[in-house]
Amino acid sequence: MAYIALSEAEKTFILHGVEEDFRCDGRSRRDYRPMELETGLVSNASGSARLRLANTDILVGVKTEIDVPNPLTPEFGKLEFFVDCSANATPEFEGRGGSDLAQELILSLQNAYESPFAFDYRTLCLIPGQQCWKLYIDILILECGGNLHDAVSLAAKAALFNTKLPRVTATLMDAGITDLIISDNPYDCTRIGIDAVPLLVTVCKIGDFCLVDPSAEEEVCSTVSMVVSVSMRNNEAYLAGTHLTGGGSMHRDTMLSSIQLGVSIGEQLNSLLVKMLKAEQERVGPKRPKTVGFLK
Amino acid sequence: MQTLREFTRKTKRGNILKIVREHYLRDDISCGSDLCQYCFQNEVYELTSGHDIKSSLFKFPHYIVLDTNVVLDQIDVLEEDVLHNVIVLTTVLNEVKHKSSSIYKRLNELIHDRTRNFYVFVNEHHKDTYADREPDETANDRNDRAIRLATKWYDSHLQASQDPKVFQRSGRSVTRVVLLTDDAGNRAKAEAENILVASAAEYVKSLEDFPLLVDKLSLKTFENEKQALPQFPPHLSMKALLEGLRLKKLLQGSFHASRENYLEGSVSVEGYETGILIQGRDSLNRAVEGDLVAVELLPESEWSAPSEIVLEEKNVYADDVPSEERAEEENEMLQQVQTAPVAERTPTGRIVGIVRRKWRQYCGILQPSLIEDTTRHIFVPADRKIPRIRIETRQASKLQNQRIIVTIDSWPRNSRYPHGHFVRSLGPLGNMATENEVILLEHDVPHCKFSEEVLGFLPKMPWSITEEDYAKRVDLRDLYICSVDPPGCTDIDDALHCRELPNGNLEVGVHIADVSHFIRPGNAMDKEAAARGTTVYLVGKRIDMVPELLSSNLCSLVGGVERFAFSCVWEVDREANILDKRFHKSVIKSKRAMTYEEAQALIDDPTQTGEIAKSLRHLNRLAKILKKRRMDNGALVLASPEIRFQVDSETHEPLEVEAKQMRDTNSMVEEFMLLANITVAQHIADEFTECAVLRRHPKPPSTNFDPLVKAARYQGFEVVTDSGLELAHSLDKCVKADNPYFNTMIRILTTRCMMQAVYFISGSLQKEEFFHYGLAADIYTHFTSPIRRYSDIMVHRLLAASIGADSTYAQLLERKSNEELCNNLNYRHKMAQYAGRASVALNTHMFFRGKEEDEEGYVLFVRKNALQVLIPKYGLEGTLYLKGDKDGKDGAERSKSEIIFTFNEEDHTQRCGSVIFHSFDPVTVRLSLDSTNVQHEKLVFRLVKPFIKGFSVETSSEAVEGIAAQPPAKKSKKDKKKK
Repeated sequence: MAYIALSEAEKTFILHGVEEDFRCDGRSRRDYRPMELETGLVSNASGSARLRLANTDILVGVKTEIDVPNPLTPEFGKLEFFVDCSANATPEFEGRGGSDLAQELILSLQNAYESPFAFDYRTLCLIPGQQCWKLYIDILILECGGNLHDAVSLAAKAALFNTKLPRVTATLMDAGITDLIISDNPYDCTRIGIDAVPLLVTVCKIGDFCLVDPSAEEEVCSTVSMVVSVSMRNNEAYLAGTHLTGGGSMHRDTMLSSIQLGVSIGEQLNSLLVKMLKAEQERVGPKRPKTVGFLK
Repeated sequence: MQTLREFTRKTKRGNILKIVREHYLRDDISCGSDLCQYCFQNEVYELTSGHDIKSSLFKFPHYIVLDTNVVLDQIDVLEEDVLHNVIVLTTVLNEVKHKSSSIYKRLNELIHDRTRNFYVFVNEHHKDTYADREPDETANDRNDRAIRLATKWYDSHLQASQDPKVFQRSGRSVTRVVLLTDDAGNRAKAEAENILVASAAEYVKSLEDFPLLVDKLSLKTFENEKQALPQFPPHLSMKALLEGLRLKKLLQGSFHASRENYLEGSVSVEGYETGILIQGRDSLNRAVEGDLVAVELLPESEWSAPSEIVLEEKNVYADDVPSEERAEEENEMLQQVQTAPVAERTPTGRIVGIVRRKWRQYCGILQPSLIEDTTRHIFVPADRKIPRIRIETRQASKLQNQRIIVTIDSWPRNSRYPHGHFVRSLGPLGNMATENEVILLEHDVPHCKFSEEVLGFLPKMPWSITEEDYAKRVDLRDLYICSVDPPGCTDIDDALHCRELPNGNLEVGVHIADVSHFIRPGNAMDKEAAARGTTVYLVGKRIDMVPELLSSNLCSLVGGVERFAFSCVWEVDREANILDKRFHKSVIKSKRAMTYEEAQALIDDPTQTGEIAKSLRHLNRLAKILKKRRMDNGALVLASPEIRFQVDSETHEPLEVEAKQMRDTNSMVEEFMLLANITVAQHIADEFTECAVLRRHPKPPSTNFDPLVKAARYQGFEVVTDSGLELAHSLDKCVKADNPYFNTMIRILTTRCMMQAVYFISGSLQKEEFFHYGLAADIYTHFTSPIRRYSDIMVHRLLAASIGADSTYAQLLERKSNEELCNNLNYRHKMAQYAGRASVALNTHMFFRGKEEDEEGYVLFVRKNALQVLIPKYGLEGTLYLKGDKDGKDGAERSKSEIIFTFNEEDHTQRCGSVIFHSFDPVTVRLSLDSTNVQHEKLVFRLVKPFIKGFSVETSSEAVEGIAAQPPAKKSKKDKKKK
């Protein structure tokens, strides 16, 4: 993690701001910083999204591959996360510097996505027990501005929404072996349902209060944070997993209130994200977007 | 500007990948028209206003844009020098490339022909004409749209350049752009978009200056087609075929029609040794020779045996409906087959679909039509395996006596024959040049002139040997080297010498033309030679593998001139035991180029004591020892009837026929060539265990010998075929005092039992399989004729690399590419052989034109309805029909007159009354050329002796008349020959 050196006076200032529910940048404890989201910008990938949350910059690409399902779960497809902490983000990431952070992000995403309720792996299955899609969700951290967990999960969800799987029909061959035929029309593709796909909300404890979307400076002031993953099912928010980061511990009551805060924030965040994604899809239409924007 | 093209592709491993290519759009692609004022023109081939096509459909100057289907179907029309100012879009070019590589090649040639004004417009990269694929649009629709977009752009682009005022003053009308398409959907859309559009047929018909071009239109459906009933079962859809093949319900293989019976064929399928028999019109189901077909195997109870009947289609006319007569005949044949004994039955099937057509262009003749002034005609291909083809032409009378080329367009279910169209005429029938062209085309012999590029690699003349060359090579100019070849040979690739060494041993040298010195690997000349594979010899004509400058001059080891050679030199003792051998490149100066006859005379004349005569005598003596040794090893002496034609130097028509004579000197040269080949083979196989080019001759399976053994046994001889040695010995014993030709015939039969000798790469087979059966050699290759065989050039290169005389290169040692090369060589050799035979047959026909002769012959085979007769004098083999021969009426009359031949399958004999025909029986037959049928001239064999009343021709009077009817000059010639 990129550490920012703060003096005691600065820390106290931030702490007081939190106590007053008036943070350094003017937000309340439940407020997020402004976000910028763009999808479908990496033409080589099957789906992609780029999220900028204030100074945090995340690029996610989804690649697809055909694989054999795990014999224990023959009807499930596969998902694999990979996080790359670019040395562009901070010099500390150079070499293997970012691997611990990357590992932590991967683990929290894997945890959140693990439940079949959170992500419907059946949609990735082509032929039970024989062939399925394997999605590689490659996450590139371009800039660190705090609150990586939330940003990464938002971007991943947006990228999954953007992912287009070529339509495949299976034909039966000898001895029960099946052969896949891809549609020759590049526009003929299937989408992945993202309704239940979880989001991570980091609830950060500074002083006696919990807040969301900590900036890099606020993260330095925090002793402990809880990452709450929230999945939506039947318009209700469910907890898909939690874990603590940071050195400190948490009181039972604080934990409960943190979870409650996380879940309610997650629910809001999710509905906003889905709304925005749908709006963008409508605006672009089925054709490839004009090549403008980031990366161009 | 840039855009992206996205598509998904499945990899071999089954993965599905999204592939994205960057696609650049440019604004500097010129339109290629000289009218244009906007584009920057840097193209050499441009659309010019100098070529106006007069069309009644578009009465103003116009450029033509072609749709893909027009190019694919009407390439023959495009190749005619009629259409100019044609815009070829890259969309079309790519589609054509994808669909048919041969048409793509032809189109490319057109494009490169400057005089034709075909302009390739890169519409796919032009910023205004690029069409991105829309959602829910098929690839085809997108291409059509791209074509329309480009046409429309062109039209408006040109109109913008052509200021109406200026043009009105000059009196010229404005040039427009016309789209030719045969796709109704595309046409309708084009019309809706105000594009000038026409179908290819409409446009060609509207051309005022070229009415005959209509003939070349490919006709998928004939106009005024009577909606006839389907005559064939339908083919399965491609999907069903692939499904069936995948489930192994259907079998896939290439179809081979029977040469002798048009209602029979076979499909060679993996796992079925003899292939799957296909019998009857419905089962054949429109398959044409070479097609890749899907076959359904019939239940075993319906299997049948190949009929031994020779059946030819006749009385076919364009408007014909299947006559009862023919149906009857077909039924008869089928019935006969159904009664075939169970033992003879082989897997039989029926063709249910065509996987891929292998249609090519066919040579042949137009059959005269019964109806005058009809445009529909029947085309009779020269190759009997190809069915007749229906074509439409308005120039039938002009083409009547011409050899023409026709291509097949389609074969609908309701047509008895495939539909095709006229491509071009080769020349008048019976003209030697035309007929040779036919032979070359039919045998796929590359015979066009060498291209400039190839000729560019020839050494510059005058060519001379430099000091450097002398330094690199062993100087053998002082040796008494001479060459011995057939008369008139100009490509001399071998020369010999023999001298006594001080230690009493002999030194024998074989010097082979060093062709690999001139043909460097990988250049255009090398590629051309590799593609040709071999020089093809027709009667009176030679199609060179390498340009003439090399084959007849620089490489040829002509007498008295210094030449480069690759020498193989042995030291042998007086008993022809090899003591030492060495290979090196050398400079030689052949003292004399002799014919076999001259060399023989020199050896036989004791007064000749010159160095050459001495060395020839040594060689001759050694050769005899070598030959005996080889025979003792089990080498076979095989025979095939070989003849030579004396050809008139001007008309190229054959004057005389003679059987080839074998002299001692022939065998002398042959012996040393064999020795050189074997020596080299051993050497290169040792040096290059993986990639040496060798030649093998597999031992035939014993069943191959069955007809031979049966025939010999009947004559009281036992032929043992267990090994080459035993076979050789037993063949030697087959001698009949009363029939001197008997032994030769047995050998001819043996030859037919043999397998083809083939080139191969040493790494591809086990050492035991290297065996050359005919020569009884453990290993063999071809080294001695590099001027006329490419294999020898490869062997030269290998040998040169192994002795350090030449550098090696990557491809020389690459097994895979060498294997492909060998396959091509094997194919070319086979075709060259067939072409040579076809040429001999052609000349035989010419020779017998207007003649009728009685000749002694022998029965070679007895078939169910015919005798195969061999005439030793001409080395000629023909069929003597006994019943139901190709001439229908004759057969009918004969059966009325109750001359019935009974075929005995046990001992393969034909009996009629008291006369029995066995194999090897002497007969006298009357030969004449049947020219009543202009289509296929044919030698007719008629029985003279033994005399069967009502069947044999009457001897005396008729024959005399026949001869008397000839012009006296010819008669005298024949008399001479009879002596």
